[in-house]
Amino acid sequence: MAFWNTSAEQPLELQSASIEVQDLEIRYGDVPAVRGISFTVQPGEQLTLLGPSGCGKTTTLRALAGLERPSGGTIRIGGHVMYSREHGIDIPAERRGLSMVFQSYAIWPHMTVFDNVAYGLRVRRRPRAEIDTRVRAALDLVQMGAFAGRRASQLSGGQQQRVALARACAFSPQILLFDEPLSNLDAKLRADMRIELRELQHRLGVTSVYVTHDLEEALAMSDRIVVMRDGIIEQSGTPTEIYAHPRNAFVADFVGSSNLVRGKLRPELARDGLVALETASGEVVYGDPCGRSPGADPTLSIRTVHLQFSAERPQATVNAWPVTVRRCVFQGDFTQIYVSWGGRDLVIRSAALEPVSEGQSAWISADPRRCVLLEGAIATAGDDFTVAPRHSPR
Amino acid sequence: MTIDTNGPTRRRLLQAGAAIGGATLASGKVWAQAKAAPVKVLDFQTYADMAKVEQEGQFVFYCHENEAGTAAIVSAFTKDFPKIKGSYVRAQTGALYSKVLAERSAGRFDVDVIQLSDLAPAVDFQRKGGYEIYHSPEAGAYKPHYLSNPPGAYFWTGVDFTGICYSTDRVKESEAPKNWKDLLDPRWRGSMSCKIAASGLQFVQWYELRKLYGDAYWKEFAKQQPHAFDSRVQLMDRLARGDDKITAVGEYAAYVLYKKKGAKIAWVAPPDGLPATPLIVGAVSKAPHPETAKLFVDWAMSLRGQKFYQDNPNLIYGSVRDDAPPMVTGAKLSDFKLLAPTDINDYLASHGAFNKQWSAMLGL
Amino acid sequence: MSDTAIARQSMPRVSAQAIAGMVVAAIVGVLVLYPIFFLLQAALDVGDPDVRPPTAYGLDNFAALGRYTGILMNTLLVSAAATAMAIVFGFVTAWILTRTNVPFRRTLEQLMAVPYYVTPLLGAFAWSLLGAPQSGFINQFWRALGGHGVLLNMITPFGIAWVMALFEGSVAFFMIGAVMKSMDPSLEEASQVLGASRLRTMLFVTLPLVAPGVLGATIYVFAEMLGSFTAALVLGLPNRFYVVTTAIYVLISQYPPRLPLAAAMGVSLFVVMFAMMLVYRRLVTSRSFVTVTGKAFRPRRMDMGGLRWMLFGACALYVLLSVVLPFATLIFSSLQRIAVAFPTAANWTLANYRGAMQMNAVRSALANSLLLGIATASIGTLLVALLCWLVYRSRLPGRGLIEHVAMFPQAVPRLVFAFGMMWAWLIIPLPIYGTIWLLLIAYLTVFLPLGMRTISGVMLQLDKTLEESAQMCGAPWIYRLRTVTVPLLRPGLLACWLLLFIASVRELGASILLMGPHSKVITPAIVESWFATSAELTAAMALIQTAVVAVAMGIFVMLTRQAAGPGVE
Repeated sequence: MAFWNTSAEQPLELQSASIEVQDLEIRYGDVPAVRGISFTVQPGEQLTLLGPSGCGKTTTLRALAGLERPSGGTIRIGGHVMYSREHGIDIPAERRGLSMVFQSYAIWPHMTVFDNVAYGLRVRRRPRAEIDTRVRAALDLVQMGAFAGRRASQLSGGQQQRVALARACAFSPQILLFDEPLSNLDAKLRADMRIELRELQHRLGVTSVYVTHDLEEALAMSDRIVVMRDGIIEQSGTPTEIYAHPRNAFVADFVGSSNLVRGKLRPELARDGLVALETASGEVVYGDPCGRSPGADPTLSIRTVHLQFSAERPQATVNAWPVTVRRCVFQGDFTQIYVSWGGRDLVIRSAALEPVSEGQSAWISADPRRCVLLEGAIATAGDDFTVAPRHSPR
Repeated sequence: MTIDTNGPTRRRLLQAGAAIGGATLASGKVWAQAKAAPVKVLDFQTYADMAKVEQEGQFVFYCHENEAGTAAIVSAFTKDFPKIKGSYVRAQTGALYSKVLAERSAGRFDVDVIQLSDLAPAVDFQRKGGYEIYHSPEAGAYKPHYLSNPPGAYFWTGVDFTGICYSTDRVKESEAPKNWKDLLDPRWRGSMSCKIAASGLQFVQWYELRKLYGDAYWKEFAKQQPHAFDSRVQLMDRLARGDDKITAVGEYAAYVLYKKKGAKIAWVAPPDGLPATPLIVGAVSKAPHPETAKLFVDWAMSLRGQKFYQDNPNLIYGSVRDDAPPMVTGAKLSDFKLLAPTDINDYLASHGAFNKQWSAMLGL
Repeated sequence: MSDTAIARQSMPRVSAQAIAGMVVAAIVGVLVLYPIFFLLQAALDVGDPDVRPPTAYGLDNFAALGRYTGILMNTLLVSAAATAMAIVFGFVTAWILTRTNVPFRRTLEQLMAVPYYVTPLLGAFAWSLLGAPQSGFINQFWRALGGHGVLLNMITPFGIAWVMALFEGSVAFFMIGAVMKSMDPSLEEASQVLGASRLRTMLFVTLPLVAPGVLGATIYVFAEMLGSFTAALVLGLPNRFYVVTTAIYVLISQYPPRLPLAAAMGVSLFVVMFAMMLVYRRLVTSRSFVTVTGKAFRPRRMDMGGLRWMLFGACALYVLLSVVLPFATLIFSSLQRIAVAFPTAANWTLANYRGAMQMNAVRSALANSLLLGIATASIGTLLVALLCWLVYRSRLPGRGLIEHVAMFPQAVPRLVFAFGMMWAWLIIPLPIYGTIWLLLIAYLTVFLPLGMRTISGVMLQLDKTLEESAQMCGAPWIYRLRTVTVPLLRPGLLACWLLLFIASVRELGASILLMGPHSKVITPAIVESWFATSAELTAAMALIQTAVVAVAMGIFVMLTRQAAGPGVE
């Protein structure tokens, strides 16, 4: 057990605030939570760690904060090493100069709103006048100016959320960390806060790392998304990239819903830069290879919203098939239609006006550019979604 | 040693004294003259340095008496000498002696004066050098066998003796025990009390009655399943309330006290004799307040102190001082047939057997 | 700046946290383990008992225990009976107060804490006065009503178990009540929705859910009963009924004292208690029925209709028997010359109070006790808060071990612990033996587990993120402690202070062996008075003590409420 490096008395004031994570590993006892991931965050960028629960995103965030001790790797913030197993460095959380908004807000009930927000400034021994100005500015930023004198225990969830945000910003950190800050709010409030947070981040120009399991949040708020599963990074890229060109079955189905179509490659049918796959039941589907090699088990991903549903035969020459409607589920903004096609079900999300009934015959079609070839899988028996683990950032 | 000041047993007394005292028969005054002149304080003489006493300002007293009695002794002393702050520790003689020995073995010397209700631990303590050898100017008023041998270690501050006491509510006069042997009557099973093994008086009673009646007496006594207690107060309380019918250790002093309180009890002086124990006071060596200790010894030995010991309702000791007045009831010690150990070594040696038998009787 | 440059620039050093942690751990280790060592040494001493250190070691003392199996059986029997009764009291009152709509529920809940504050000593005295075969008030009443003989004899093993159960019942109530409060009511509702009757629900759903908690409480209470001393001292000794603790006490007070035997008895009791505590902890940590997770369910209360008044009566009866009746008895007795059930006019007197006030034992002992109580509570709370923080919130290696060491005194009967301390500190050259400092050390040590339990509950309830967010604002350890942790823990800290204060003032087992002439404290002084003066005087003393302590507590509560300021919840 090394004596960890705990240099510097005051929290660091960082000049450049980029984040570099290399080969980060975190274990809880024998159980690996994060298995050697690497990524970078540019100054001023908002990066979101997205994934299902248990994927290691919160653990990674807390390791960045200094609240968890990793078992291997390096973390650099603003060019300074915050953690390095190799050199035995582990700067404690209070000295990293980061700021964090917690899922439970963690507002101190025994202090007023003002005192909560002023805490970070008081720790840094700023003069009274400065504290006053900055606290008020922070509270105004989140429209909580009128609540400064209120006891923190008397606030609603949404109000506490804002105070937490104000507190995190008050001492002008260069990096903001968010641990699922909106998950305890109701849906409407969540949607509104999303936009506010995004605007705030832009206005402050602060580097942010955001953790969430909510897809909409990630897509709406991020400059780049890192999709994690089981302690490794599945894919990282801009929201559009990840949505439009998922790398593997997991990402395809996690970021929006997707139909996976497997088949044999028909190179002789390929044209216009598209590939052709023939399914087991003989359908030929054209798709965009995206510069990827198909691998042993070629699979195309077709998003449910990208399948067109029509009663009559569509104009398209390729990727159009007759189907029978099996089931219809009304979901408000769209209707989810299950059709049988080639011995299996396809799922379509359609906002069409015409009513659809079960047993009805209809046609579906898909633009080949919307049918994306997934990266080559190493086929292992029985698992449709096996992908080769890779952790190089995009 | 026997305990009469006058009367037919005086010869025995002198014989005993001669056997033990030898050349020191009249030595009290001789020893006293060897020192500087005593100072008169209040109405008695003392060799204590009164200036130092004032400096010391404190007095620690270890005593076997019940709480009220011990508190009374200390407060009487400090009332006479208001500059002294008194404190005490009270435990039955056995426990008290163990405590002192344990402390001394660890190098703690917190006690100025110790009062015990049994000769055995006193002699033992003397042999261990536990007492400070101090020859009080008041010692002249005591016959030599009421002092330690050699003198200067301790003295008899009084005598406590016991008969049988019973509750008049629960026991008819016709049924009441008249002599010690009557205690063995099965009708007293489970409703008789006695004292615990740590009590000096209990040890004396055991020793003397064994001498009178042999081992079998106490074996039979054990069958009565008596309740054992620490102090006379408990024994008398229980009689007064009717919790017990009789007590085997009915101290005269306790009887007097409770009779005055209005308890419905009666006292019997068995014709075979009343076991009696001396109450031993001595200054302790290496005391934290040595001059005060000397002062206390002189005070206790003086007529003033002895009157206090005799008259205080919680004590009612019989004084052995030559010029002591009668006890508060008008009786004198010589009015009673008292039984006390003569062969001190045999007495000491039998303590082990007493302890074992008594503990076994009480279940430990 | 390169990585290695930074590494070279900053020197590795041990954090302040680690140093504080190690110092505290060392202190606790010495306090707890040092007397145990002496206890073991005395138990294994087969040489001359007057010679120290021991000349020969062996197991003879334990072999000698064979003669005293009666005492061991007594202890087990009385403890089992007391535990059974205490659990019944606790379970029934917990049930009534958490699951039914009994009237005046809040008042009753607060009253349930009172038996804990009343010492079992007072209860033992009072029941001895009430239930002595001849002179007991109850029996006197009985005979006055025409009955014959003895209705109730409290100077028996049953009496001991009864008194112990009355006072431990309140502890059982709190433990079982906590379990019941943490039960999810929807589990019972599911059963009822499926058509089960109330009784069936109770038997097949509620009881099994509550059972592990009740079992845990049972084991805990049993372990406590094994080590209890007071009731057996007052009610057992006169009838030559010994349990292990009173036997040890008698053996130590004899002349000559039989210390090795006493030590051997102490060690065997300790072994049994230790085993019980291990079982208890295994039970507590393996099942997650333990409650304090901050998520409180709102238990559904059953409407009992007219029956609720009977239930009220049942709870009120418990409070009556454990608090009201003893106090009334003591007051009644203290005002008489010789306490009887039907006093004549001449029997009334205030002399007992006058006498009690004059006695050294009351004046100096009371002052000592209050001082000692304040010191124990203040130092103890601080120590325990630090310990809890280290164990539950720091990343110090070996913090699990610290917890075990701190909780260790729970497994040792307090009298036995004091016995070890007696010898441990006797030979240390520091002038501590016989002074109040020794009592302070003893109290701090034996009450560590009590404090740990109180504060750890509150600390675990505290959301970790509250402290983490302070970290993220840049606050170092001590600053965090001062501004966030301590203020949030405040109610728990105050509760701990009060608890330690009360426990310290009412303690008998630890103090009866360690008292010296200048360090008299009130509870052993009262016991001494019981054995060496009249019952009436003792009753007066005990009441004076209770009144003074109650006033002190009242003052404390008032002060803290004021200091906390208005508007704090």
